[in-house]
Amino acid sequence: MKIVGLDTLIFGVEDLAIAGQFFRDYGAIEAPIEGGLRFEALDGTGVEFYPADDARLPAAPVAGCQLRKTVMGVSCAEDLEAIRAEVSKDREVRSVADQSIECMDNSGFLLGFQPTIRKAFHLPSEQANAPGAASTRQVNRLGVDANQTIAPRTLSHIVYFVPDVAAAEEFYVRRLGFRCTDRFEQVGPFLQPMGTLDHHTHFLIGAPPHMQGVEHFAFHFGGPTDVMLNGSRFVEKGYQPFWGPGRHLFGSNWFWYFNSPFGCHVEMDADMDLHDASWRHRTVQLSADTSQAFLTRVREKWSPGPGTPKHGAYA
Amino acid sequence: MAPMPDLPRRRLCHVSEVNEGQARGFGRPGAAQDDLFLLRRNGQVHAYLNACPHLAGAPLPWRKDAYLSPEGSAIVCGAHGARFDPTTGLCFQGPCLGEQLRRADIMIDEKGNVFY
Repeated sequence: MKIVGLDTLIFGVEDLAIAGQFFRDYGAIEAPIEGGLRFEALDGTGVEFYPADDARLPAAPVAGCQLRKTVMGVSCAEDLEAIRAEVSKDREVRSVADQSIECMDNSGFLLGFQPTIRKAFHLPSEQANAPGAASTRQVNRLGVDANQTIAPRTLSHIVYFVPDVAAAEEFYVRRLGFRCTDRFEQVGPFLQPMGTLDHHTHFLIGAPPHMQGVEHFAFHFGGPTDVMLNGSRFVEKGYQPFWGPGRHLFGSNWFWYFNSPFGCHVEMDADMDLHDASWRHRTVQLSADTSQAFLTRVREKWSPGPGTPKHGAYA
Repeated sequence: MAPMPDLPRRRLCHVSEVNEGQARGFGRPGAAQDDLFLLRRNGQVHAYLNACPHLAGAPLPWRKDAYLSPEGSAIVCGAHGARFDPTTGLCFQGPCLGEQLRRADIMIDEKGNVFY
């Protein structure tokens, strides 16, 4: 049952033009579809938006949740049949177009499964120079190009607010073969499916029933510089940062969270830990100290120079 | 006209610069988020602090001045989608259901200048 991760998140939105502007500015790649908008990362995973009243859209799990479906990719058609055989023991599994199936999870989120649409691509990771390190950036290759094109590389993870964490987790772990990689006590688990080494593709947060929905979703970027530079461009365009830039402890991923018109945060992340089956999950109480290794704040211009006061503009 | 306050207030704008069904945020230059926002609904100007009651102090808009739903009938939080009545600030859907946005203590002088 090799689920490799998220393929597509499908939303019903009040204003398609706003959704389009948001993801164009985020750096995602527009891929034409009928009746809506689709934005992709470099590997072809992505997000889709349709008018909220489009009859083709599945219903929202609760009023106010704009996410209508979470589509995961599997490695081959046999995986689909394994999921169908397991999940159909206690719930309906429907066949839909393009070799894909769909069912509800234990919280009322609609899930789709399909042979993954991920395309292979080859780009270097962010290279760093460090004294003593064998692997460094090539001589005369610059670390930063302020004008470089930045695009998300793949759809990384989704975080659900769920009314019953134990029931929600049971479905992903016992039925779909996910592993818990780390856990915040009294909050919920980070979950990794069998077909990836990423620290998490899912994180569940216990919340009152009227809050059910999405806390955030994220795309992976090529490295911390991509996150910082792309996030800074986003801020310059007027988007509202929520948390970051910083680096998480669980997963070690660099993060920058932004408000969005989709009823949830949208994150840019990079350099997440990889874990295999030998990894033993950690459990800690959630706090600022346990969720972030560090957090930075932007100062636009602090040094004296052209365009700033004589003593800089630190305050 | 209301008496001018003892503390110096900052002029935000003229009331005519807040159009029906639209919102405008105001903050200190260079700050990561605006302090408050004005909106006009059914002719009336309302002012609220830019702080979602769900998470103390969390900014509401998803982009500069993007406080309202597309058709202008609700203030929408860009964090988790909480929806508030624009004339009362009461949350009618979302994580802080039943809680209220705090009104910002603005003053409007006889010429229509808005101060905070």
